[in-house]
Amino acid sequence: MIPGHASPTEAPATAKRLVYCARGLTKVYRTGEVEVRALAGVDLDLHEGQLVVLLGASGSGKSTLLNILGGLDIPSSGSLHYHDTELTHSDEAFLTRFRRDSVGFVFQFYNLIPSLTARENVSLITDISVNPIAPEEALALVGLQDRMDHFPSQLSGGEQQRVAIARAIAKQPEVLLCDEPTGALDVRTGVQVLSAIQRVNQELGTLTLLITHNAVLAKMADRVIHVSDGQITHIETNAHRLPVSELSW
Amino acid sequence: MRFKPLHLKLLRDLGRMKGQTLAVSLVMACGLAMMIMARSLIYSLETTRDTYYQENRFGDVFADLKRAPNFLRQRLATISDVAAVETRVIGRLTLDLPGLNEPADGVVISLPDDRPQQLNRLFLRRGRFPEPGRRGEVVVGEAFAEVHGFGPDNQISALLRGRRETLTIVGIALSPEYVFEARPGETLPDNKRFGVFWMNERELATALDLDGAFNNVVVDVAPGGDTLAVIAALDDRLANYGALGAISRRDHPSAVRLNDELAVLRTLAVAFPLVFLSIAAFMASAVLSRLVRLQREQIAQLKAFGYSARQVGAHYFQFALVIVAIGTLAGGLGGFWIGGNVVNIYHRFFRFPSLVFHPDLSAIFLAFVVSAGASFLGVYGSVRQAMRLPPAEAMRPEPPASYRPSLVERLGWSRWLTPTLRMALRNIERRPWQAFFTALGLALAAGIPIVPCAFREGIEYLLGFQWDVAQRQHVTVSLFEPASATAAASIAHLPGVLLAEPYRAVPARIRFGNHSRRLEVTGFSREATLRRVLDARERSIPLPPDGLLVSAKLAELLGAEAGDVVSLEIQEGNRPRRNAVIRGLITDYAGIFAYMDKESLHRLMREGPTVSGAYLWLDPERWLDFLKEVKNTPRIAAMMIKNTVRESFRKTTAETINLVQSLYFSFSVVVAFGVVYNSARIALSERSRDLATLRVIGFSTWEVAGVLVTELVLLTLVAIPFGLLLGSGLAAGIVATASTESVRLPLRLTSQMYATAVFIVLSAATVSFAIVSWRIRELDLVGALKAPE
Ligand SMILES: Nc1ncnc2c1ncn2[C@@H]1O[C@H](COP(=O)(O)OP(=O)(O)OP(=O)(O)O)[C@@H](O)[C@H]1O
Ligand SMILES: [Mg+2]
Repeated sequence: MIPGHASPTEAPATAKRLVYCARGLTKVYRTGEVEVRALAGVDLDLHEGQLVVLLGASGSGKSTLLNILGGLDIPSSGSLHYHDTELTHSDEAFLTRFRRDSVGFVFQFYNLIPSLTARENVSLITDISVNPIAPEEALALVGLQDRMDHFPSQLSGGEQQRVAIARAIAKQPEVLLCDEPTGALDVRTGVQVLSAIQRVNQELGTLTLLITHNAVLAKMADRVIHVSDGQITHIETNAHRLPVSELSW
Repeated sequence: MRFKPLHLKLLRDLGRMKGQTLAVSLVMACGLAMMIMARSLIYSLETTRDTYYQENRFGDVFADLKRAPNFLRQRLATISDVAAVETRVIGRLTLDLPGLNEPADGVVISLPDDRPQQLNRLFLRRGRFPEPGRRGEVVVGEAFAEVHGFGPDNQISALLRGRRETLTIVGIALSPEYVFEARPGETLPDNKRFGVFWMNERELATALDLDGAFNNVVVDVAPGGDTLAVIAALDDRLANYGALGAISRRDHPSAVRLNDELAVLRTLAVAFPLVFLSIAAFMASAVLSRLVRLQREQIAQLKAFGYSARQVGAHYFQFALVIVAIGTLAGGLGGFWIGGNVVNIYHRFFRFPSLVFHPDLSAIFLAFVVSAGASFLGVYGSVRQAMRLPPAEAMRPEPPASYRPSLVERLGWSRWLTPTLRMALRNIERRPWQAFFTALGLALAAGIPIVPCAFREGIEYLLGFQWDVAQRQHVTVSLFEPASATAAASIAHLPGVLLAEPYRAVPARIRFGNHSRRLEVTGFSREATLRRVLDARERSIPLPPDGLLVSAKLAELLGAEAGDVVSLEIQEGNRPRRNAVIRGLITDYAGIFAYMDKESLHRLMREGPTVSGAYLWLDPERWLDFLKEVKNTPRIAAMMIKNTVRESFRKTTAETINLVQSLYFSFSVVVAFGVVYNSARIALSERSRDLATLRVIGFSTWEVAGVLVTELVLLTLVAIPFGLLLGSGLAAGIVATASTESVRLPLRLTSQMYATAVFIVLSAATVSFAIVSWRIRELDLVGALKAPE
């Protein structure tokens, strides 16, 4: 199968708008003499509103792909369109704009600003975005309406991660990129976080990419992309995705 | 040589922190440079002075008298503890110099022609001594010869006791009694208008009507001898010869001036290093505590591998050691460089056979010890923290730093705050000491420039006060000897004189309790309009009908106050002793003086209307006529022209002030730059993750810089007013310690100085911050998403 190309089972998805269109993306890291091909030709289309899970061995290039999609990194070759915009040749100012307006990030390490409370961490973003939801609403969406005025040091890891999600989605981004958001959490807390992500995807219709090492999570996705050695090996499509709470761990 | 791994780590870590290492070292270097410069100068001046005094046998006791027969010399030599006696003839002369409209004056001192010169021996720079029997041959002081470009064979026309003489220069020389080649009591040399001459004793004695006699004695006190006893004995034996009272080296004008300078240097050698080193110590402390925080896991690993806490501690102390070493090196080089330049300026004021800058190597050692001590104190806390860190705990990443709402928010003003402001305030509150010392450093930087500005302003004010408000005459002429009222009338009749106010000046020793000072009691008319005495607010104080008005400084030196009765030992005529009441204190900024109403001074002296000179107001149109006539008036000994004195003062101080100002300004820039750079780098490295995260989620480089800068801007804004206050205090302190009998700078603070200081600090801080901000572009965005290091 040709990776990333629309297959018949995806019929309902094609009705939705195309968000990303990547062709022949490669990324080569050069450190001295050594060359690492982190991405070796990736073709991929991603549509509005989907929840996509990226699976693959460590070092297979998942993070690299996600970073390029999020405008944090630029590919060595190939083309990447975000709607009608070519991201590959954009300058730093444009990418900053792009990240500010269109992308929400959630990282494995929550990267909250320790000197700001949960609410303030979120309003940090809502202050600079065009069409945000209220920070309180975003925090309520991840179930933290009662902890809004707590500092990161007063929150558990899972709670901090949920603040990070609230921070990412408060500006109503078109894309939510999550790199191993539950990597540092235990299962029970991980479920809370994933539920939050799924809920955001459902209620706000945000295209969500989720990197994980946990194959079980494939069930919660619309599509599952398998990455290996910098290439997409195959893409699965789930006709029905399961709510996180029903996944069997 | 093979480096141990820990040393390699030290070098590489330092390499990565080179900016900060340098910033701390430089601030340290500023203080050390001042200290090394001052100590080296003290050392250079003292050793040069001591060898010069010794080799050229500078006397210990000096006395002026009217006239004593030469055979008295033998008798003086028998005074116990006297090692050597030199008797001399000293006269004053006025000079008519080519290219100089106004008259110059000078002192002429005899050289024995029948015996070798014993004391105050000349150092002949060029030419030769006058040959015995040859008329009109003189040796000239170097400073005077230099400004006029005089050399051997040049001729000078001079008035010596009313007779015009043509003097032939045969040699250029220096003398230990004129290291400071100026009129006695003058603060700054006026080499253009004052010179020192030496000529054969017989010729000079004849010219001064002192054949077979002397009017000046220099005595060398035997090592361990009792100088005070010698002075008393000398006064006793010379009493009948019109002696003015012997003085020791401590009161010798040239020696005093040199000692004043050394005293100023000594304050510099302590005060400056103290302030700079404490700032540097805290900067070092901030750098190291951050390093320890960042290297938690490395420390844990080192310990896990089996390095002892002491080895780890030593490793972190070595960081401080390297900073100190660089600082000492830079401070040493800087100090020597500045010192080398300052010595050239000193050469203009103080004349030695050779004034070479001797680097005081012990100062370098001291600098190293002091700064090492200061920075070890500074970093002790962080090092201890590193030593105490239990390995297991350190392996875990540090939990998120705990914060709380800042005071401003607890007060309920939070809605005024943007998130950026909140971050800044909470950061400041979380590390109050770090913030405090950053602010202190910035305050210091803002304060330093005030000092030289205050000096400059003080000098300007002093000149204006003295010459525009207190002494409004164009010219002061003084007579060789007190003369009758007719002399005053003849001065008033000089061409161009519009107004002449005669004065009477009486040399005296003023005594109160155990303290005494030599000075001139000056009397002028209570109706005088040219000459006035003032209070601190420039208001004229009328002379009381009787009693004295004295310089506030004099009262302080004597420990007397208004209403006290002081005794005046008049050193003129038959040297009467009189009592006088201090009626009030006046403000003046140079020298110490006592004033009286002229009539009451005459009553005190039991004399008629005698005059010593006059204050003159002139018609500018007839200026040249006036000068020409003065040159031909033998009884005029010296003339002080206001504008010339003022210009000369300005010119002589300008170079020093400019040097001091550029030094202080550079120090201020270094401190402001260093402190801001250091704090910004620490903030950047401690919060690089936060800042990178902000970049990832869409903040622009400038917005992130804004987050970083807010904290520093807040600190700067708080620091500056304190800095200006600190600077004013510093200026006041330095002005107070540098206040001597010869000069007391008034403290003048203007808003323009404050503006200058603020400008310097803000520019240095801005540039420094811009450099750090540039690094925000290099933040590793992808790295921020990975695990914390
Ligand atoms: N900055 C970099 N410099 C050099 N090589 C890099 C860099 N970033 C990533 N790589 C290499 O690129 C390859 C892909 O890395 P990437 O981080 O995308 O993997 P990943 O699939 O996210 O792995 P993991 O599941 O462990 O997070 C790896 O071999 C990695 O070593
Ligand atoms: Mg990864």
